[in-house]
Parts: sequence; structure tokens; C-alpha cells
Amino acid sequence: MSETASLNMQDIPQGQLPEHIELQRARVFCKADAPVHTEDVEYSGAYAAVGFDNSLQVDDFRRDFRVEIKNLSMDDIEFDMIGIDASLANAFRRILIAEVPTMAIEKVLIVNNTSVMADEILSHRLGLLPIEADPRLFDFLSENDTPNERNTIVFKMEVHCKKRGPRLTVKSDQLKWLPNGSELLMESPNPSTKPRSFTSFSCSQASLPQISGRPIGMKHLDIIITQLGPGQSIELEAHAVKGTGKVHAKWSPVGTTWYRMLPEVKLLKEVRGNDAEKLVKKCPRKVFDVEDVGHAMKKAVVSRPRDCTLCRECISGAGEENIALRRVRDHFIFTVESTGALPAEVLFTEAVKILEEKCERVISELS
Amino acid sequence: MDSQPEPKDSQPKPKDSQPEPKDSQLEPVIYICGDCRKEIPVKPGDAVQCRECGYRILYKKRTSRIIQYEAR
Repeated sequence: MSETASLNMQDIPQGQLPEHIELQRARVFCKADAPVHTEDVEYSGAYAAVGFDNSLQVDDFRRDFRVEIKNLSMDDIEFDMIGIDASLANAFRRILIAEVPTMAIEKVLIVNNTSVMADEILSHRLGLLPIEADPRLFDFLSENDTPNERNTIVFKMEVHCKKRGPRLTVKSDQLKWLPNGSELLMESPNPSTKPRSFTSFSCSQASLPQISGRPIGMKHLDIIITQLGPGQSIELEAHAVKGTGKVHAKWSPVGTTWYRMLPEVKLLKEVRGNDAEKLVKKCPRKVFDVEDVGHAMKKAVVSRPRDCTLCRECISGAGEENIALRRVRDHFIFTVESTGALPAEVLFTEAVKILEEKCERVISELS
Repeated sequence: MDSQPEPKDSQPKPKDSQPEPKDSQLEPVIYICGDCRKEIPVKPGDAVQCRECGYRILYKKRTSRIIQYEAR
């Protein structure tokens, strides 16, 4: 964008914004000291004087909104959401972290623990272990519910370190799934009644059609829980229930999830020769490349703008006026890192469903 | 004026007044020696000392009940 005196500005057709205003609307500018034009222009009539309609129409959104998957692996996904407002992108991020449910160990029944790790610490560590179980197959356990096969997963751990032997490292593979529920008996005040177990399963979880194909277990079998010295032992049962990240982070289905706006790097003037070499060297993310233009002349080009972290190294010091660093306001690079209960792409669709449910609740409240 | 004298020497009194269980079949409490880890039954009046190694620090055993914790 070149600076033009206001009297020399070109005529622009009705319904369009002048170039510099359009840039302010659609981009965040990164100057050497601070970003400018960071705020969104939300008001539909903000540019009414020049005949530009700034309103958001559902049909326009449907036509222009795009999702492009850039990278997909077992537990991670990186994709671009184009044509969406930051408030919505942030809503998805927050829902993913705090409101998409998973299963996590919540109750630990310790029969014996002679290890050096206190019972409370051991329980806390067990709670943080990711469990490979589809939370959509389970119900939330409310306060007055009895734990049953629809809302509780039971694991058992019995480890003993041999006397006069080496120390034993207890890993998450020692937790064994009990599809028939708790094996421990509750102490009843009346000895004549039949003792009850801590859960009341009506059938084995392994016989449920959704679970039988994919047995429940730990996502990672090599997480160190504690260490036992010779002669020490641990015997416990762990009960996992469904919950959400807003109650406790152990239920968060993502390690983390984040987004960034697409960086836009523009060379305003051609950068040639030595300056081009210097510019390539300056950038720690290797955003620029040198291109041969013939006659032993070299020129800098922007080849990997997506890698730019907006460190602003290239616009500090000499040559600042040659480069424009911007961010595309409605283009979000979204990354989801799943902890393993569900694949990352499924997690995102679950988040969309939760936001949809919330919108429906608001609509029904209002109507 | 000190109207309430401290009952310093009246300590053994409640001991006598308490109904002492004459039943010597009282189940001894089992302690664990802090040194050799042996289990030692200790009855009221017994010396607090390990019979095997003479160590004087004894630990109480863990309860036989199941303890429930919240994994937070």
C-alpha cells in the first residue's frame, strides 16, 4: 500500500472500499513496536457513507466459509478455518478445552499402600492418566446415581516389589480393566446382610455391543505412576467417570488447542543484492528466499509466509519500510492436540455440536 | 489472689477411677518395628520396644479398611 495524498486519490466504484481502508478492515498490521488496527469493525453500517455494506449475511457466510485440513495424524490435526470471526474460533477453542467430556479416574479405593508415595498423591497421579474409552458411550454420574456399567469404568492395580530385589517402577499398564465392576466389598454396619460391592453392574461392560469391539484401557502403557522399594506393595481400585475440563483439567480431551491468524508477509519494494541476502539471514523462520533474476542480480521473495511467527525481526532496524507484516483477520490456523480418548478431528466436531446445542438453548429461551 | 490452685499432683486420680478391664485376653495391638520391620504385638503395659532387635520406635499398622480418595 503506497501513501497517497487524499486529494490525489483515485475514484473508486460505488460499493467498494478504498485500498487502504479495505486493508484496515481485513488485516491486522504488525508494526515494529506494536500491532495496529487490531479491533474488528463489527457495525454493519460502518462504511455506509461510501456505499459499502459491512453486514454479515448467513448466505454469504455459507458461500465463503471454508475449512482446509493441512495436517492430520492419530492424535493431532491442523486445519485452516477461513471466513470466520475470532469470537467463534475462540468459542471452539474454549469448548474443546473445557466442555468436551472424557472419562477420567475420579475415585480411588486404596486397600494397601506401603510405598513412599502418599495415598493422596498417588490418587492424584492416577486421575491424570488418559483413558482410551469413547465418552459418548457413557452417561454422567450424578450425585445420587449408583455407579453402574453405563457410567463407571473400574480398574484394578495390585503390585508388589519382591524383597531383596531391585526397585520396581509402576507404570500405567499395571491398571487392569474390570469389565464386571468393583471386586471390593463395602463394609456394612449390619453383619447379617450380604455385603455389597462398590458398583452395581447389571452386566459385563465387555458384553455391551459398542465396547466389545474395542476393549477399554489406558491410552499410554508407559506412564510412570510411582516406584516401589523391596517389600513394598500397592493394592487399589480406581473408578473412572465422565466429566468435563471445567470441573478438573484431567477431563480435558486436549493437551491443548490453539489458533493463530494467517501471517501475510509482503515486500513493498523489491529487495535486491546484498540486502536480499541480509533479509534471508535475518529471518529465524526462513520465510524469505533469494531468487536469481538474471544478469547476476538477486532478489528476495516471500516463499513461506505461513511459517512466520511475527517475531518482527525483519522490520526492526534497516529495511523496515520495505516489508509489511500483517495477519489475515478471518483466517485461522487451528491446531488440536488430542490426549487420546477421541481422534482430534472427532473432538472438533463434538465441540461444534456443543456450541450448536448452546445456541438452540438460547433460541428456545428467547422464543 | 490466686483462688484456683493448679491441680498438678492430681494426675493419677482419674486412672484409678477408670474401670480397668480385668480381661487380660484383650487383643494386643500389632505394631511394626521401625528398624527390622517385624510385626510385634504390644499389650497395655508392655515396653515400647522391639523384641527382636530392641529398637524403640514402633509404627502403627495401616487400617484394614478400604480408604476412598478423590483423584484430584
